[in-house]
Amino acid sequence: MRDPAGWPVFRRCGRGEFGVARVVVLGAGIAGHTAALHLRRMLAKEHQVTVVSPNSKWNWIPSNIWVGVGRMTTDQVTFALAPVYRRQRIEFHQALATELHPEGSPSNNAPYVSVRYTDPKRAGETGEITYDYLINATGPKLNFAATPGLGPDANSVSVCTPDHAREAAERFAETVGKLKQGIRQRLVVGVGHGTCTCEGAAFEYCFNVEHELRMAGVRDLADVTYLTNEYELGDFGVGGMIFHQNGFETTSKLWTESLFRERGVKAIVQAHVESVEPGTIHYEQLDGSKNSLDFDFAMLLPPFRGADLKAFDSTGNEISSEVFAPSGFMKVDADYTERPYEQWSAQDWPNTYESAAYPNIFAVGIAFAPPHQISKPRQSPNGTLITPAPPRTGMPSGIMGKTAARTIADRIANGASASAHRASMATIGAGCVASSGMGLRNGTAAAMTMYPVVPDFKRFPGTGRSAIDTFGEIGLAGHWVKYMLHVMFIYKARALPGWYLIPE
Amino acid sequence: MDQAAADIKNAPLPTQRTLRLRQNLAFQLWRFIILNLRFAKIIAKGAK
Repeated sequence: MRDPAGWPVFRRCGRGEFGVARVVVLGAGIAGHTAALHLRRMLAKEHQVTVVSPNSKWNWIPSNIWVGVGRMTTDQVTFALAPVYRRQRIEFHQALATELHPEGSPSNNAPYVSVRYTDPKRAGETGEITYDYLINATGPKLNFAATPGLGPDANSVSVCTPDHAREAAERFAETVGKLKQGIRQRLVVGVGHGTCTCEGAAFEYCFNVEHELRMAGVRDLADVTYLTNEYELGDFGVGGMIFHQNGFETTSKLWTESLFRERGVKAIVQAHVESVEPGTIHYEQLDGSKNSLDFDFAMLLPPFRGADLKAFDSTGNEISSEVFAPSGFMKVDADYTERPYEQWSAQDWPNTYESAAYPNIFAVGIAFAPPHQISKPRQSPNGTLITPAPPRTGMPSGIMGKTAARTIADRIANGASASAHRASMATIGAGCVASSGMGLRNGTAAAMTMYPVVPDFKRFPGTGRSAIDTFGEIGLAGHWVKYMLHVMFIYKARALPGWYLIPE
Repeated sequence: MDQAAADIKNAPLPTQRTLRLRQNLAFQLWRFIILNLRFAKIIAKGAK
């Protein structure tokens, strides 16, 4: 059933009679999986929830850091999705979405997604999955190709996936082995491109590596360097933070630099990695200088771009440029007008995550196109952009997924005109715990919260964020929090009893 | 020496007391409660 504007309507037609709605979620990461579980909980049984993901397993990505130093196995940070979805009555297709047909096609007048199966039992098969509402939570494409020589298939390692992290742990163990033989080693941890995001993850891995070297008794032979595209330490892709401590305002820059000094970690900032050769990183800095850094072990995160998904109209013409930004991320209800940094506003950021072109499509988590960076954009004299992309993982991802699910559930119950729920990154906060070590007493962490994620200088003149709710603290307690989050979120993602009581 | 290295060299170091408190079980148990309350507040604000 459709309303006069052509949108699907699933009104109660009479006692016990409903139109059947089909909601398809692309991606089973933090945002997509959260959305799917909440949709199944909120929607009546007759409505269908379908998840399409190329991966057979769910991964608690924050704990990949511990896999990357050999403190956890991949099995401790993943679980099979199919049994969870079977139990939750969610249809699961282990497949890669390749094409989006939001207007249908001459042979199929319902909106649909073309998929290619990655399920070993159906490998190579293709299919079409129709939908009434679609959530794009495809996450990032790990764009190692943007930097020649970057990545596990070339000259550096990564911790972006469990397999990458396991390989990183193996290479790290080899490096520790050489140190134990008395051979000096240089370990470089950071980001592999001027426009990378997730500097917090690189920072966390860097201090895990440093911690493990100390535990192994080889720290004095190791040179640990953090290589980042941040303008200054403590930026974390969010333009840095101001903390109140002991009656003073302090910056995340000073706070982070203190930790680097305490642990003897070197830092190279404002860097765009141009290429990675075996044993050598070539990078450009914001002043235009070109430099090289030799290494024995390098974990460099890749830049992200949107998944390889193309969109077509009802006649088969490609409309990807209307649906997606040039970065491949989906355009949503953000203000994408190009403006200088001084005119950026918290109001530029999306609230509902509805596609700009098709209101029955939503993009959440990393899949939505941000209107601009959060950190001030900077270019080298050579024209190279060296600025972190905005982070939109973890807590904000889960909130976005739930927000889209609530909107869709309302619209299925009350009609397509039901107003959308809102969760702008300029009105939600985030917590970040960068923890090193393992066990009750053998660990420490830098725990940070910020509110809001995107600074709002009208609400919070001066710093753009709440002084009370933006803080940082170092200690064992943060390490306990990180382990507690690991246990809680895997419990929640497994949809075990009471899972929905655990917040995003 | 580049600016980042100079900044790190001039950053304040924690005192021995601060380092001890960061690993003190009783104090950290208190901080664990505080951290959870702070996280809960951020979550509650986001859920509005």
